[in-house]
Amino acid sequence: MKFFKLLVFTFIFCAPSAFSQNLEKFTVNGYIKDASNGEALIGASVYVKEINNGALTNEYGFYSITLPPGNYTLGVTYLGYLSVSRPFALDKNQQINVELASESTQLEEVVVEDTEDQPTVRNTEMSTNKLDIKTITKIPTLLGEVDVIRSLLLLPGVSTVGEGAAGFNVRGGGVGQNLVLLDEAPVYNSSHLFGFFSVFNPDAVKDVKLYKGAVPARYGGRIASILDVRMKEGNSKKFEANGGIGTIFSRLAIEAPIVKDKASFIVALRRSYIDILARPTLQFLKDGGALNFYDLTLKANYNINRKNKVFLSGYFGRDVFKFDRVQGFDWGNQTGTLRWNHLFNERLFSNLTLVYSQYDYNLAFGNDDRNSFRWNSSISNFIAKPQFTYYINSNNELNFGADVTYYSFEPANAVGVTNGQAVDLSIERKYNLETAVHVGNSQKISDLLSIDYGLRFSHFQYLGPGTAYTYNDTIPGIRRSVIGSKKYGDGETIAQYSNLEPRLSFKVQASPSSSVKGSYNRTAQYLHLISNTTASNPLDVWTPTSNNIKPQTADQFTLGYFKEIGEEKKYEFSLEGYLRYTRNQIDYIDGADLLINRFLEGDLLVGKGRAYGVEAYVQKKTGRFTGWVSYTLGRSELKTDGINRGEWYETRYNQTHNLKIAGFYDISKRWSVSGNFVFTSGTPTTFPTSRYVVQGVLIPYNAQESRNNVHLPDYHRLDISFRFEGRKTHRDGSVRRNTDYWVFGLYNLYARKNPFSIYFSQTDARFPTGQALQSQAIQLAIIGTVIPSISYNFKF
Amino acid sequence: MNANYKGFTGLLIVFAAIAFVSCEDKINPSLENANSILVVDAWINNLVEEQTILLTLTQPYLENVLPTGVSGASITITDNQGRIFSFKESDKALGNYIWKPTGNETFGKIGNRYTLTIVYKGETFKSTSRMGRVPSIDSITFKTEKQPGGTKLITRGEFWATDPIGVGDAYWIKAFKNGLLLNKPAEINFAFDAGFSPGGQTDGVVFITPIRRGINSIDEDTSAGATGNLSPFTDNDSINVQIHSITYESFNYLNQVTLETQRPGGFSELFSRPLSNVSTNIANANPTGSKAVGFFNVAAVSSLGKRYKEK
Repeated sequence: MKFFKLLVFTFIFCAPSAFSQNLEKFTVNGYIKDASNGEALIGASVYVKEINNGALTNEYGFYSITLPPGNYTLGVTYLGYLSVSRPFALDKNQQINVELASESTQLEEVVVEDTEDQPTVRNTEMSTNKLDIKTITKIPTLLGEVDVIRSLLLLPGVSTVGEGAAGFNVRGGGVGQNLVLLDEAPVYNSSHLFGFFSVFNPDAVKDVKLYKGAVPARYGGRIASILDVRMKEGNSKKFEANGGIGTIFSRLAIEAPIVKDKASFIVALRRSYIDILARPTLQFLKDGGALNFYDLTLKANYNINRKNKVFLSGYFGRDVFKFDRVQGFDWGNQTGTLRWNHLFNERLFSNLTLVYSQYDYNLAFGNDDRNSFRWNSSISNFIAKPQFTYYINSNNELNFGADVTYYSFEPANAVGVTNGQAVDLSIERKYNLETAVHVGNSQKISDLLSIDYGLRFSHFQYLGPGTAYTYNDTIPGIRRSVIGSKKYGDGETIAQYSNLEPRLSFKVQASPSSSVKGSYNRTAQYLHLISNTTASNPLDVWTPTSNNIKPQTADQFTLGYFKEIGEEKKYEFSLEGYLRYTRNQIDYIDGADLLINRFLEGDLLVGKGRAYGVEAYVQKKTGRFTGWVSYTLGRSELKTDGINRGEWYETRYNQTHNLKIAGFYDISKRWSVSGNFVFTSGTPTTFPTSRYVVQGVLIPYNAQESRNNVHLPDYHRLDISFRFEGRKTHRDGSVRRNTDYWVFGLYNLYARKNPFSIYFSQTDARFPTGQALQSQAIQLAIIGTVIPSISYNFKF
Repeated sequence: MNANYKGFTGLLIVFAAIAFVSCEDKINPSLENANSILVVDAWINNLVEEQTILLTLTQPYLENVLPTGVSGASITITDNQGRIFSFKESDKALGNYIWKPTGNETFGKIGNRYTLTIVYKGETFKSTSRMGRVPSIDSITFKTEKQPGGTKLITRGEFWATDPIGVGDAYWIKAFKNGLLLNKPAEINFAFDAGFSPGGQTDGVVFITPIRRGINSIDEDTSAGATGNLSPFTDNDSINVQIHSITYESFNYLNQVTLETQRPGGFSELFSRPLSNVSTNIANANPTGSKAVGFFNVAAVSSLGKRYKEK
């Protein structure tokens, strides 16, 4: 509460002084876009030379700067684009929209300046990583499929338990502690084919930003990270088609203006096609079985007038695996987002977002009506998010708004039919309402010091109709039994929680090229991914906070040093430390039953966690050779009564060392090469010490009762890919309208068998009574060889 | 939901084989040292036969020899009506302690509670169990059909029985094919009421499909060019199905045994759980004394046999 008082104090004393200075001032605002396709540029730096200050464009490419009247020069820079400088006289409010040309497609009418004179706008943001889609497409990947989530794994502080594992781990957090947003719609399962490919179609993605710490007050709901994926708006200048055929997916994306410079759309489709090729040889496919995954991404926008703009986007993805016409399973996400940007005045920007998002899966076994098993589960939510940015003056940017989310959970809608007799195994739906209000200000106190301070107040309600169970207390680690239940009516509150989440970060500009930044933030999470397996799987259920499950909360502290190196600032260096304490972390009793279990809560254990580490990062951003080196030294631990004798234990995804090197080099006009190298410490796992036999079954035993007591061997891998550009001109020298390129890749170049796990089991052989059962240890590499790939991509 | 996982895993493997190249190697890692502790295998039933309790010691995990039997313990089981059953150490098999029935006598009575007492090296280990009720098996049927996704014909057996009304019955369904107990981890078949788990709401109905069909042997077809498993039944194979009533503690124990021992490997390792110790209901009377592992259960048994004949 101390912090809250401080915040109120700051608003009372700083904000009015900020407002009072606004007399006799005018505002310059506008949008920064890509000149070739009209896409808004997110995070472009807009700079007013004369005041040595400026702003970054928001998610819609909008900026606003308020100044006393006078003659100024506006500089606009964005990485990979030619900078623009525009003198202007500010004697009234005015809008200056700027279109930047990409470095490779220079346009004549643009005034070009050398980038080196352009100071970047300094902001307090830290613990974030941005990947633009151009970089993502260059990274060598498994089977040559451009992959947003896999690319994140090359960033500092981001890791995975292994190949094929869904999702990602940020700073020692769990997969379910990341909020993945696609155009602000939460995506509950970000993977196709369990974990090999992510659900985002690279042809439709514009910008990817990962918040690992110093999370702004407008974000909440998860404690480890926020992954904000923004979709392209669609080319508003001309028709464009992108597509390709890879090893797994074939893709096609079409974008075009509906009304030039006013309205445009994009439609992007990807589908795996291995089943089509395999159909003649696989009987189960001929029998009506299926084995495919696909996604469809749609977006349209309409620029109504200078003050109003609307966006409509949707995503539909599905994985389908069927033995035959009936049996099998499928899962997928669907999201829809409607956004309305409105300018109340020159300085008050608002956005209202309405979201519908759903994740569901279906299973079916048994192909006759008398004996079958059908099961589906889903989570759906409706979200309303009004958001406002008030550009008070060149030193203050105030953000405020609210989030309201209504959840409906269907944990299991399951019916088993036995010999014609149906048994309903369904678990009743759960309803929840999560609301949050937030306010935050970004303030430049002096040329030396900037601070961001904000507060988020979140509230979560578990609503009826529903049955709340109470459980007995047992020795930790033993299943708890139901001792009572109470039914609640429609709309009644069964349980509720609230959290105050202060967010604070600062930046001290130590020199023109270096700064020190620090942050503290608290985050709360009300939905819990219930999964006790090494990798999360599509059947994992999300469970809301209830009378028995408390919200997870985290406190994170970060401190970092940032420097641009070289006269031309070609290199960027950062060193960041983080420390995070978490509470109400969920773990599971031995033998927990997590699926179709009404009494799931009796199988959960609660503990606390801590994660800490240092991340070092060097990046070369420009030139023929670009790339980065990222190194993380970290530790992530949990302490739960009933596990590991109640002592601290490493999480399954803990990695001491995590080194990643990514390099991109343009060999010639048509050839370029990309490579990445990954080295990570082996993740922890649990080995038995002993064995014993009861009733003819060989049972492993750990005499120390420890969890994650040994480490797998280290993981390292080198991938490389070559890109060959098709001719840009015809033989007669005229420019080709369509362009194309080939990508040849080699994943795991030196064919290392990186262990995913070491497991212990009895051999499959049968032994007559009186003979010893045979035990064995098996080391498994999910990918045990070099995987070549080839893909063809085109654009016209 | 183990059986669903089986299907799920099976499908994963199918896909993995198509798309990926995983690789498994047998290794010999060094394991932490541990002292041996007492292992109690005390699964008693009411069949007309000798009842054996086996005492052994834990051994290093990768030591592939028969466990050492434990000699010199004294074992008794008492029931809640004061009757004492003495188990005599066998002079033929080390670590075997035997109760011999007189005539057609069977062990115990449904509804009675039993206390096991083992005195070994001056320490006393105790456990309790209750003999639950058991439904009779109505019939066993066989069905021959195409292997899913293949062309091979396989014959599978299925038993038919109905769980009595009243929540909380639990069973271990043991199948003996040609007289040999099917005891691979993947063949362990147990039920809570007629379903998989207490949360399943399956009281008083016919056992659900995966349990009814959980009596089939699982053996990989290793002949050249073959895929999948051998047909569980070929002409003249016999099957004997026994339903053993178990306690809720035993049900949890079997659940854990299945989780800890079923490691089909390959792609399914993505979804493996951390290894943890299965529970035991053998407690040292002195809480700070030596530990023991293993389980004690007293079961009522119903059984039915059938021979498969191709027409």
